[in-house]
Amino acid sequence: MSGNLRRGAVTLPILTSAWRLIRGNPAIWAILGLLIIFSSIVPERFLSSGNLIAILKNFAVTSMLAVGPTFVILLGSIDVSYMGIWMFGGALVWLLYPYLGLASIFIYPIFGLLIGLFNGVLHVKAKIPSFILTLAMTAVLAFLTTYVRNISGVLTLTVPAYNFLRESPIPYLPSPFLLALPTIAISIFLMFFTKLGTYLCAIGSNEEGAKLAGINVEKYKVLAFMFSGFLVGLGSIAIFVHLGNQTRVDFDPSELVRGLAAIVLGGTPLAGGMGGPHRTLLGALVYVLIFNGLFLLPGVDPNHLKLYIGALLLGAVVIASKALKGALIA
Amino acid sequence: MDIQKQLLEAKNISKTFDNVVRALDAVTIEVRKNEILSVVGENGAGKSTLMKILVGVYPPDSGELYHIGQRIPFPRNPIEALRRGISIVYQERGVIPHLKVYQFLFLGLEEKFTRLGRLQLEKIIGIAKSVFDELGVRCDLGSYMYELPLSTQKMVEIAKAILSIRLAIGDSGAPDITPIIILDEPTAPLSIEERDELFQYLLNLKKNNSFIFVSHIIPEVMKFSDRIYVLRDGKLVAHHDLSVEKVSEEQLFREIVGRVSYYELYGGHEYGRAEAEGRPIILSVRNLTKKGYYQDITFDLREGECIGLFGPAGCGKSEIAKTLYGELLADSGKLIVDNKEISIKGEPHSRLRRGIGYFSGETGKELFLYWPIKKNVSIVNFEKIVRSPLKIVSVISFKAEKILAEKIVKKLRIKAPSVDTECYSLSGGSKQKVSVGKWLERSPKILILEDPTIGIDVGAREDIYEVLLEMKKNGISMILVSDDPKEYAILCDKIVLMRDGKIQKMYTNEEFKKVMEL
Repeated sequence: MSGNLRRGAVTLPILTSAWRLIRGNPAIWAILGLLIIFSSIVPERFLSSGNLIAILKNFAVTSMLAVGPTFVILLGSIDVSYMGIWMFGGALVWLLYPYLGLASIFIYPIFGLLIGLFNGVLHVKAKIPSFILTLAMTAVLAFLTTYVRNISGVLTLTVPAYNFLRESPIPYLPSPFLLALPTIAISIFLMFFTKLGTYLCAIGSNEEGAKLAGINVEKYKVLAFMFSGFLVGLGSIAIFVHLGNQTRVDFDPSELVRGLAAIVLGGTPLAGGMGGPHRTLLGALVYVLIFNGLFLLPGVDPNHLKLYIGALLLGAVVIASKALKGALIA
Repeated sequence: MDIQKQLLEAKNISKTFDNVVRALDAVTIEVRKNEILSVVGENGAGKSTLMKILVGVYPPDSGELYHIGQRIPFPRNPIEALRRGISIVYQERGVIPHLKVYQFLFLGLEEKFTRLGRLQLEKIIGIAKSVFDELGVRCDLGSYMYELPLSTQKMVEIAKAILSIRLAIGDSGAPDITPIIILDEPTAPLSIEERDELFQYLLNLKKNNSFIFVSHIIPEVMKFSDRIYVLRDGKLVAHHDLSVEKVSEEQLFREIVGRVSYYELYGGHEYGRAEAEGRPIILSVRNLTKKGYYQDITFDLREGECIGLFGPAGCGKSEIAKTLYGELLADSGKLIVDNKEISIKGEPHSRLRRGIGYFSGETGKELFLYWPIKKNVSIVNFEKIVRSPLKIVSVISFKAEKILAEKIVKKLRIKAPSVDTECYSLSGGSKQKVSVGKWLERSPKILILEDPTIGIDVGAREDIYEVLLEMKKNGISMILVSDDPKEYAILCDKIVLMRDGKIQKMYTNEEFKKVMEL
């Protein structure tokens, strides 16, 4: 009797905290559902070790584009300069490799930080809407990347010297995934263990109140853009390695959508105020699982995949903005 | 009573919401021809409900309506009210900034000026011109609404109300009716000069129209009305005809807030006041001026002292509080905190660094409703809950955060299951306690209080007063701005009486209580 009671007392808090976790992050349901569906329809192909490794790689790429900008979206602003930072940052690595050697990979986070600072100052001081500003930034940087490729007369901007980074020291864990871990760790740390996360949520949910609580709103807005750029730059190293030590040289809008999709699917509303990088990680996993699973299904034309994903995103945005309003509070 | 002058009479109007809240209890008011009639009362006294019944937004539970002696049914919607010659100008959200003046004037009235789907602009502009000439509104019809000064925007809104009535009556072919325009707190966002301008305009229009003026700004009500009705808790408590009797501002004030003495309210419990004389001066305000709001404000605040800025709404007291906290910029003057002059152009975060905190009772203004209690507490207390093991980064200690919040919850007797409870589920009083509680541990040098206990019950009020008085005893200075004289009597050592943006007089607590008959 007493033994039962004691066991009940131990299991109950675990259950309640697990329930809170699921309630606060509806994307967990989607992940569990997708795992069950795909592993029961196409078990051999979906659960093969090759496919699971591919999922991890794609998860790394998707989340690295999306984790940084989540901090800006918390504010209620938006940052889509990640495409530009990823593309042109890689071009810079390629350009500077002859001078800096292996250290030139660190250009990525530094460049991201500078672009973030530029975006932030322009957004806050000149009051330019963040979407237009950062989209223009991506357009300019994407153009510059193509331009660098064109004038240097090469096909790709590849730096073969980083080939050692492609070898993973741990079996089954691909190196892009391992390279993504520092970015994930830093973003979670910033969100939950420093005042930055709280302040950004405060500004996003009640800017007037944040101001009255003595928060330097302008400063933290600029900081959000800076961390966004920095994390995208750091994360781009993982994408760089994943693509074979090269950067993308042609602009593809579906890559731009990918980042925003992970954020919205994860449950950080574009209006800001709640959510965070933890949700974006879950959202990235949802996105990758859908893409990967549909690709494996018999009878699904791979050429139509982007269409399905687009339709799904539309649905997710509608649901996230309406039905889950109450459930998404954290 | 002169039946010739009577225009509209609403008799014995009662209204109950959800069968519980009695918003109006057998209220009778009468509107005469060519007058400015004021309806005054505190928030929640029933002013707005009464006006909404007159324009057909709510149906009354009971009551009768007479128009020039003839019984008529209550309007069922604003259009019917227009046909009876009644229109309302709401306090805010009336003006659409990006419409041109004539577009706004005819918004919703275009139907009559459309031929084959084309708007007859020449006709519209022609009518707009003649209406503005007749009513004395001076502005360019082609400019956008947002380009006009606030007072002119209000005038255009009033002209729109008159025009709507005319067009509606013209339809039904009724005889010439004197329009009744209801103005719901029209002067709230205006500066002192703009208010005077608006009232000159109203006095001019009085010969063809009647106005019902809903307000709680006493001096202007006294200056410009012909008659005043006072509402309190849904009942009509007083009626003054200023052409036959004289009323003092103090009398009107007492009628509005009621005569309950604060000894009755707080069980005769006398809160101790700290001896502040001789303590060091913590804040000196010198010749602080913001054009149109306040002028030449000079006073000293000592350590552990509370000074109340008292006066009718619109006297500039809340603007001064906002300036001290950095929300509003002053034009000139000096601010000296702790013997150091600080910029008068600071922002809230730089003021907080100098030790000036802010607390308002308006829930939702500074509380994050969907956050747990502990996060709302930590937002100003990060220095208290972070640890720096590596000396470079500060890491939040969740344990310290929880302990801090629990301490405050316990001290303020906040009724909540835990510090993880989200604030929206708390009662109004508890929300306010969380709001004020976060300053307990932060201990600013000066706390600016704006309506600290607005809209909460007596028990919660007492708890908040207790906390504030304890903070005061610990040496925190305060500046209070409120609408409730009892609050000043409880919290303040000195009370500065303000009027029209200027300091009139300085009372001690005892003198103040005597004057207010508390």
